[in-house]
Amino acid sequence: MSNLLEVTNLRVEHRGKPIVDDVSFTLEKGEALGLAGESGCGKTTTALSLMKMLPSGLKQSGGIVLRPPDLEEPIRIDRRTEAGMQVVRWRHISLVFQGAMNSLDPVKYIDAQIAEVIRLHEDGVSGKQVHARIDDLLTTVGLTPALGHRYSHQLSGGQRQRVMIALALACRPSLVIADEPTTALDVVMQAQVLQLLEWLRRELGLALILISHDLGVLAETCDRIAVMYAGRIVETGPVAGVFASPQHPYTKRLLDSLPVIGGSRGLAPPIPGGPPDPGDPPDGCAFHPRCPYSTERCLKDPALREVAPGQSAACHFAPWSSWPEIKPVSVGVRT
Amino acid sequence: MNENNLISVRDLEVQFRQRRKVARALDGVSLDWKKGEVLGVVGESGCGKSTLARAILGLQDLAGGEVVLDGNAGSGRKARSDLRRRVQMIFQDPYQTLNPRQKVKDIVTEPLVIQGLPKAGRDKTVRAALRDVGLDPERYLDRYPHQLSGGQRQRVAIAAALVLEPEGLICDEPVSMLDASVRSQILSVLLELQKRRNLALIFITHDLSLAWSLCDRIAVMYLGRVVESGSAVDVIEDPRHPYTKALVTAIPVPEPGGGGSRELLQGELPDATDVPKGCRFHPRCPKRFEPCDQVDPSLQPVGTKGREVACLLYSDATLRADVEPTHG
Repeated sequence: MSNLLEVTNLRVEHRGKPIVDDVSFTLEKGEALGLAGESGCGKTTTALSLMKMLPSGLKQSGGIVLRPPDLEEPIRIDRRTEAGMQVVRWRHISLVFQGAMNSLDPVKYIDAQIAEVIRLHEDGVSGKQVHARIDDLLTTVGLTPALGHRYSHQLSGGQRQRVMIALALACRPSLVIADEPTTALDVVMQAQVLQLLEWLRRELGLALILISHDLGVLAETCDRIAVMYAGRIVETGPVAGVFASPQHPYTKRLLDSLPVIGGSRGLAPPIPGGPPDPGDPPDGCAFHPRCPYSTERCLKDPALREVAPGQSAACHFAPWSSWPEIKPVSVGVRT
Repeated sequence: MNENNLISVRDLEVQFRQRRKVARALDGVSLDWKKGEVLGVVGESGCGKSTLARAILGLQDLAGGEVVLDGNAGSGRKARSDLRRRVQMIFQDPYQTLNPRQKVKDIVTEPLVIQGLPKAGRDKTVRAALRDVGLDPERYLDRYPHQLSGGQRQRVAIAAALVLEPEGLICDEPVSMLDASVRSQILSVLLELQKRRNLALIFITHDLSLAWSLCDRIAVMYLGRVVESGSAVDVIEDPRHPYTKALVTAIPVPEPGGGGSRELLQGELPDATDVPKGCRFHPRCPKRFEPCDQVDPSLQPVGTKGREVACLLYSDATLRADVEPTHG
């Protein structure tokens, strides 16, 4: 079976400096891929470049091919012009933006906004059909159709996020990209939205790219995960494998910093320093200045290579059979 | 009043007027914050967590109740300035809380000036405070907030809050805007200082796993009330109030498929202008029974020492009738 989405050697440059570099991945129909990493690591840039929606100062290159199940021919997104992309966006790939609160039009009713999306992307739909679809969509995302006749300020944060998801589903795309869809929400609301995404994936056979800095959220929702650092994928593989046995020190340290209820309380030693400046990462392995295991070898660029079945890591020392104890680094308090 | 309490809060009420309606942001909160204790306050947005913090510091007019410092229910300016010197606060957004036109030096010195401390020792104190939060004074004293990263700003905020050597520090979502690696750095700074100075901390957060891993005690708030409190391990690992159970169920589990087929709380937090009659949680409660829409439960001791729950399931036998409390 061929993949729904193939991304090869994606690169995004800002003034000649790469902020996303050599990113490749594939996605099957109905599969959920999680993109993890800290701010500035290139997650959102990667997502935007899949839809060719990057700000004008950024230049992208690399292959992006989408094979929607309802089309004979694959769509070469990388070769499409802006006009050509307008028939792809929302019809085949849609995006749930970070901060749904600010993405809805404050002076239009909710149903009018959904209707606009449908009318723009599909010709010859009757008014009646549009209304039926809107009611359907709102019900699908767990809202009552009556909410359609409201303004966004009359909705709660969770409801607005559901409306954003309804918008993303309006033209029945085969791939939805959700960029931090739950970051602004409370635990309960977050769990509700994640449950909704999972249900949609099962019921509609949607493929999902979920971007989050919260590894717990990704573990629950995704089949595979890709961890990004300084514009590159440093580790990728099935969620079960990566969580049970991470093969890159960065992934390992991120996972250690998550409190797991019922496990040991207290703090794991934090990763020293901060994420590097995007566009100006350190030489060699970008993580080496913060890595407790780095040696001279790390000044050379590690390649992303398979180290366990289906699991790849960009670390010279992978596969790691065990992790040496880390001396707690003082993060500043005088003793 | 107990000597060991840094602050005791009794029947605290805060109300906000909205046209003709009144929002009861705090509706009878009682809480003890012991000296040197790390107390977690958790709940959904709008439950009154931040209002509680502001009320404790006297930043909010009270509609009722009292804030007691050290067992002395003093009021007036003296008590207020005492409280502000001994209890400080840091906020969620380090991008908005620092004055963009002040240098780090001035930000950290300001509390000393306001409290009228002698000029002579100020510079030394400020340098020590910066070193305490892991910032090299030589490099950072003359910087402006825009020259700092989010984590560094939060460190400056902590330095400014701790320069007066308070006994208590209220942290309102101190790390929710920060990235994973920076987050654990800031938490380690806070906790190391807490241990070294026997500082009492209040951690306001909606992240239950964080509260579980760092706090001695946890208070769970719902719609302006504390509905459950007790040791952090007890409350999170064995929640008793149906609301706490619902919160714990909603925590994302960092294990593949960790969500499983859990039952989630439906609906949203009701409007504080329209608090449901009886138990305020009853419209969303999966375990509600006969008197829940009539009787407003108060906090009662349940189970282990120091554990309190406001739920009719655990109330006295006459009300409970034939309903058996479900444990665990």
